Amino acid sequence: MPAVESVFRRAFAVRGGDFARAGAAACEIKELLKDLGIDTATVRRAAIVAYEAEMNVIMYAWDARMDLAVSPAEVRLTVDDHGPGIPDVELAMTEGYSTATAEMRELGFGAGMGLPNIKRNADDFAIDSEVGRGTRLDIVIRKNGHVRP
Amino acid sequence: MNDRNFHAIHITKDKCVGCVHCMSACPTRAIRVEGGKARIIDQLCIDCAECLRVCPHEAVHSHTTSFAALEAFDYKVAIPSTVIYGQFGPTVVPNEILSALRRVGFDEVYDLSSICELNCAATEKYLDEHPRPRPYITSTCPVVVRIIQRRYPSLCGQILPIEPPREIAAKILRTILPKALGIPAERIGIIHITPCPAKIVSINSPATLAKSYLDGAMSIRDIFPQILKALRKSEEDSLMRHLFPETLFSGLGMGWPLSGGETRGLKTHRAVAVSGIRDTMRVLDEVEGGLLQDIDLLECTVCPDGCVGGPLGVENRFLAKSRVLELVAAAGEHAVVDQKDVSRLYHKNFLSFDHPVAPAESHPLDNDPAKAIRKAQRREKIFAALPLRDCGVCGAPDCRTLADDIVRGYARLEDCPFVPKGRTKKSRKEKR
Repeated sequence: MPAVESVFRRAFAVRGGDFARAGAAACEIKELLKDLGIDTATVRRAAIVAYEAEMNVIMYAWDARMDLAVSPAEVRLTVDDHGPGIPDVELAMTEGYSTATAEMRELGFGAGMGLPNIKRNADDFAIDSEVGRGTRLDIVIRKNGHVRP
Repeated sequence: MNDRNFHAIHITKDKCVGCVHCMSACPTRAIRVEGGKARIIDQLCIDCAECLRVCPHEAVHSHTTSFAALEAFDYKVAIPSTVIYGQFGPTVVPNEILSALRRVGFDEVYDLSSICELNCAATEKYLDEHPRPRPYITSTCPVVVRIIQRRYPSLCGQILPIEPPREIAAKILRTILPKALGIPAERIGIIHITPCPAKIVSINSPATLAKSYLDGAMSIRDIFPQILKALRKSEEDSLMRHLFPETLFSGLGMGWPLSGGETRGLKTHRAVAVSGIRDTMRVLDEVEGGLLQDIDLLECTVCPDGCVGGPLGVENRFLAKSRVLELVAAAGEHAVVDQKDVSRLYHKNFLSFDHPVAPAESHPLDNDPAKAIRKAQRREKIFAALPLRDCGVCGAPDCRTLADDIVRGYARLEDCPFVPKGRTKKSRKEKR
């Protein structure tokens, strides 16, 4: 086994309802990726994905762990939350569908673009949700990947 | 010229006492204190002048154009920022200020307010014709352009490619004056007068032009005493102010130096105005994260309340703002710019950038991705061993930056006074 593996890992804790720190994890992820020499286009996609995922936790879940794993070829982000879960994942993946409250919408959130936007910017995207338990997202963004139309 | 590392902000070593005010105020963590003196790291500095504002010893100064430098030109033209109109009391009208500038040594002085209105009309047209991307970000504040190049490179394509009023005005004068006066273009000096240290950077090292149309930027603070003297002299012939050749001031342009002033004239587009360096960075982070796409135009000015809060002004920004608002009201809402002129210049690309804004060179921990990962891992370990007091005694603004400097080879763990001396790699574990 090599002394140090060629993957950089970092975990972030995100609390539901913590609007004061909205975007903090995503910003830190962005800075880390730049330090790791990830190209600008990939950093931008990762920033959008991380921001949307973090906001979903803040808006809907109780708490979550975001795990970042970066290798020279790809960025992996796993978001595992404790929360109400999503009853109809297919519906939640529809653009424009949102369960955001009026209050959230007033803050400019909840346009129903979150999950579809994550999927569009990811090269691999998997979602697993259980009502009453929580939701898990597995996201891979590859170097030289593309935003889906 | 066009030196990528040209900066307006410098530290006078003799005056620097090595305190950490500037270092903790720097939003890009570009300052270190070494050997008892502050040092600015060129690649990280964005010329925002936060350090200049907080230095208690006047050890931070900005390179602006001096009065003596004007002697190099046969014909001297001033185009003052409209901020200047807010620097004097309520009895001093803009025409008197322009006239006073003529008395202090400029052959001609031109008002920028109508060009600001022209810029706004061109912006509206550009947004009409370009539905994407959103939001566009205005380029008037040179610091915003530089921070995007360095910290938000993916937003370079969202910078609105319309030149700011100062460059448009200089370009018009540069085109017309040599012929009108029969003086070779290089003998005519066009000087911007400004409360902003960063304008000289956009002139000497432009991000969007092969060469700036301006020859220099003079600070309001430097020229203020002379203007005041000229105004006092003219008190004797105060009746003259009724006889000054009337300049057509634009109310819309008059309000340009206040936050929101650039976008106030937009009729059919949604705009958001942000001021202050930290709020600007927060909003740019959000834009990079994909937010604000329902906004057409984002105006960012890094000085508080807009250019009126520039560090090289004289009047405090609250009074200046109040005076500018009076002038806006006095000038009224009517347009002074002919839409036909806007259309003609716009379609000739007279108002656009020569070239798009390019990202600045990035500085990863290592150019080899695998090595960069190892250095990032090492940085985490070093950071965990630091006291997290962010005291600045090591010479870096905070513990995170010290850890970063160590893995980049610019600092040593021993620089931290809280890490026991003689700790070797072996013992550099978590310590509480």
